[in-house]
Amino acid sequence: MSATSNGARIAPRRTGVPYLLIVPAILALLLGLGYPLVWQFITAFQEYGLAQQFGKAPDWVGFANFGALVSDGEFWAVLVRSLLFCVVTAFATVLVGVLLALLMNAIGRAARLTLQISLLLAWATPVAAATTIFIWLFDRRRGVVNYLLDLLPGVDMNRYDWLGHPLTFFFVASILIVWMSVPFVAFAVYAGLTQVSEEVLEAAQLDGAGGWQRYRLIIGPMIRPVLSIVLLLQLIWDLRVFAQITLLKDAGSKSGDFDLLGTYIYKLGASANDFGMASAVSIVVLIITLAISWVYVRDLLAQDKETR
Amino acid sequence: MSRRTGRTLLSLLAVVVALVWVFPVYWMVNSSFVSNAVLQQFTPRFFPGEYFTFANFQSAIADGSFFGALGMSVSITLIVVAVCLGFAFLGAVAISRFRFRGRTSFVLALLLIQMLPAEGLFIAQYKMMSSVGLLNSILGVSIIYVAAVIPFTVWMLRGFVAGVPAELEEAAMVDGLSRFQAFMRITFPLLAPGLVASGVYAFLQAWNEFTVAVVLLPAESAQTLPLWLRGFVQASATRETDWGAVMAASTIVAVPVIIFFLIVQGRMTSGLVGGAVKG
Amino acid sequence: MKRKIGAVAAATAALVVLAGCSTTPEAPADDAQGQDITLWLMGGDTPDALRDYLKTEYADATGGTLTIEEQDWGDALAKLTTALPDADNTPDVTEIGNTWSPTFTNVGAFSDISDMYEDLGGDKLLPSFVEVGEVDGANYALPYYFGSRYVFYRKDLYAAAGVDVPTTLPQLTEVASKLHDSALSGFYLGGEDWRNGISWIFAYGGDLATKDGDTWSSTLSDPKSIEGLTALQELYTEASNAPVTESDSTPWVNINTQPDADAPEAATIIAPGWAHWSIGDLAPDPEDDTKTIPTWNDDVFGTYVLPGVDGGVAPVFAGGSNIAISAASKNQAGARELMTIIFSPEYQQMLGENGLGPANEDYVSSLGDDQFANALIESALSSKLTPAAPGWAAVEGSGLLEEFFGKVNGGGDITALAAEYDEKIDALING
Repeated sequence: MSATSNGARIAPRRTGVPYLLIVPAILALLLGLGYPLVWQFITAFQEYGLAQQFGKAPDWVGFANFGALVSDGEFWAVLVRSLLFCVVTAFATVLVGVLLALLMNAIGRAARLTLQISLLLAWATPVAAATTIFIWLFDRRRGVVNYLLDLLPGVDMNRYDWLGHPLTFFFVASILIVWMSVPFVAFAVYAGLTQVSEEVLEAAQLDGAGGWQRYRLIIGPMIRPVLSIVLLLQLIWDLRVFAQITLLKDAGSKSGDFDLLGTYIYKLGASANDFGMASAVSIVVLIITLAISWVYVRDLLAQDKETR
Repeated sequence: MSRRTGRTLLSLLAVVVALVWVFPVYWMVNSSFVSNAVLQQFTPRFFPGEYFTFANFQSAIADGSFFGALGMSVSITLIVVAVCLGFAFLGAVAISRFRFRGRTSFVLALLLIQMLPAEGLFIAQYKMMSSVGLLNSILGVSIIYVAAVIPFTVWMLRGFVAGVPAELEEAAMVDGLSRFQAFMRITFPLLAPGLVASGVYAFLQAWNEFTVAVVLLPAESAQTLPLWLRGFVQASATRETDWGAVMAASTIVAVPVIIFFLIVQGRMTSGLVGGAVKG
Repeated sequence: MKRKIGAVAAATAALVVLAGCSTTPEAPADDAQGQDITLWLMGGDTPDALRDYLKTEYADATGGTLTIEEQDWGDALAKLTTALPDADNTPDVTEIGNTWSPTFTNVGAFSDISDMYEDLGGDKLLPSFVEVGEVDGANYALPYYFGSRYVFYRKDLYAAAGVDVPTTLPQLTEVASKLHDSALSGFYLGGEDWRNGISWIFAYGGDLATKDGDTWSSTLSDPKSIEGLTALQELYTEASNAPVTESDSTPWVNINTQPDADAPEAATIIAPGWAHWSIGDLAPDPEDDTKTIPTWNDDVFGTYVLPGVDGGVAPVFAGGSNIAISAASKNQAGARELMTIIFSPEYQQMLGENGLGPANEDYVSSLGDDQFANALIESALSSKLTPAAPGWAAVEGSGLLEEFFGKVNGGGDITALAAEYDEKIDALING
């Protein structure tokens, strides 16, 4: 048995205690998610539309929903768009978060507190409020962003419709999500940095390690676990982003060119009344997410075996 | 460049970043204190100045539905935070202090649930809650939220529990404490920051959610704050969007969270240390 | 927010006057006594006074309580889909967008009220709205109110440019292009504003979809539709600065006279009739100087109905709502009592007085006879409804129409786009 992680070494070999401990969490999960998940899995293999919702018995269609999905150009377009959006946004979030954490680590208390409070305010702003603010900031007619950009010499941004073109729409969505998510990343990484002890850094300095080398050789490895988990979470969350896109679409276009996976699934279900397809897409998204995070999951499993 | 001037420059940079980051929040508050007529003028005003007014806040809360929604949101959030912290804490102890058959499956299941898109589930969630008479109830939504929030909180807390060296407990047990006593006296206090950080996560999730709420809380009297805000924005958009009132509405939805954050702020920053690093 | 006001046949000649058609409501059935029921209204179109009237009348008639819940248009489809089949939580009576009526009627969401049809107004009710709520000759959803769209323009800008009110649709494009420059839209029309855009298809004799046997198919590629869309694209290109994402939300903010003397951005718009309350010279509200209110100014603003291709009136989108009893409701008797109240002469009269086109044509006169009422009635006379296809709600809900018109606005190739979207719409339109 390895003594490396999880502090599991004092556990008695056979005991019912851990099962008792996880029972409440499992019950809560089953209660809230059990039926919906089973329903979703079954529905993915059925033709389930409005008629079924109003009492008609659903027909089993095997993998027909998945087949229809694979041959549907819109699905692939949404998928590629979502993946791009998720990767760009998640990496931008982590990059900015790390830079701000390094900045916090390098400055005095007063400046750090200012920065932290500012980040905290952004973090505390509820999604619905934050999205509404951004719609107002980027408003075509009276938004302050267009006003400020328009002040730049040679730039004409008067009446520029940010939410009107997919590229700028997702740019705004991305900025909004980065703005909201960076505080979590910055605080988490900063917390990791503060654990790198001064003595180690000073010793390294005495050994002749320059600024960059100190980061690369000492700080980098120490915050890598934080980085990988934070990046994984951002990827998972940004792939299924829903609320921000819905609210931005309320203010902008209803067109499918502005959908990501979350809004696409909701539209298939709530608007097009094709719950079989909506369920099939959900399952496909789960598989894709799993594929993306497979490296991490594998590490987790390996690490877990070690402790046995 | 000396180290001192470097540090000063970095401090300046930090202040600039802070200003940029807080600007959207500032702009919300700023806009909420002037009338829409002023906001609709071409040149934006960076301070309310002579146009300062509370009228937007009055019109935002005028029909009283805000307070009902506030009550709903606060109740749901408190239940979700309390239940999640309790259940997740136990689960986290199990997976970080014990080895047992099924542990890996449990951890994996928690991860998988995180990845499942929930947007296609609303019909099933509705059927489930309707069949047990929990539509439009605080309990019904809370059950769904707890299930959605628990996986990540277990995960987060697991890092914190693992971060407290088991040797500390062992030492206490040598001194004659029972295992349970050792845990409660030694480990639990060290977990406070972790509980705060997880609580913040649960709080934000429950406070922000609206997809499930739309379907499970169809009655006007059972709205939560995000629904209320969205309805307010949509109602306003049928004429010309009254940005002053909409920003005032956004502000009052944000204020309770900001207060909560400021209260737990000190704990939280240190709280993120253990959990994240040991993840 | 989608307000589907517009309408139909308000005054289409009533061809059949039913002799002896009783308009006296039946005495409430005994079992309606004491039933507490719920009515869902979509959006805020129904004014408070009318809501209060319904509650009072219902309480008087049955001793029960009527609860009115207002639903946002945006969430309405999801809520109707989940709640209507659920006997414990369904609204007993619900307003429903007229264009969604076929979808829900076809799946059996509503109770058959054919037996009440004559008493509620019979042939006097808007035929096209009745039709979308009908399956195999049985009535399920009936008209609630209609609205219609007509044109608002600035007399001062027309005079300055030396143009007259156009009398044909091609003339309209001509006039609007003359008025147009980079700061002023000759005709301000949002790119995704399909509810107004379809008027051009209708005007050139095209249609959105046709029914062959039991199968609906989308007809955007029909030569007449293409002709209309081409004319529309010309108007978009030559005369509108409106952004592509704008739907039929609030075009009037661009035509109003601004208090700080900013030039208006539109010389012409098309909007639902009730928009006239929002149009005018903006000035600070005397009661609350933080707000501005518009005052209609006859010297500056005027109205006309959208002209047809060769003169006359173009068919515009018939907006409005239907109303129906949920089949799952446990309070059928109470729900029927409420329907009787809604279709009573008093309530129909009140709808008209509040600018909502009454379902029963006998009360259309209650709209008044000012220029707004006249334009409303004139445009409603030749208005047209979206296809009564079972899958129409899905077509609308998927945003395909916004997408299509947005691309037409963007200057796309119309023939190719029409073919592409015919295919997409066909996949959904039959439910």
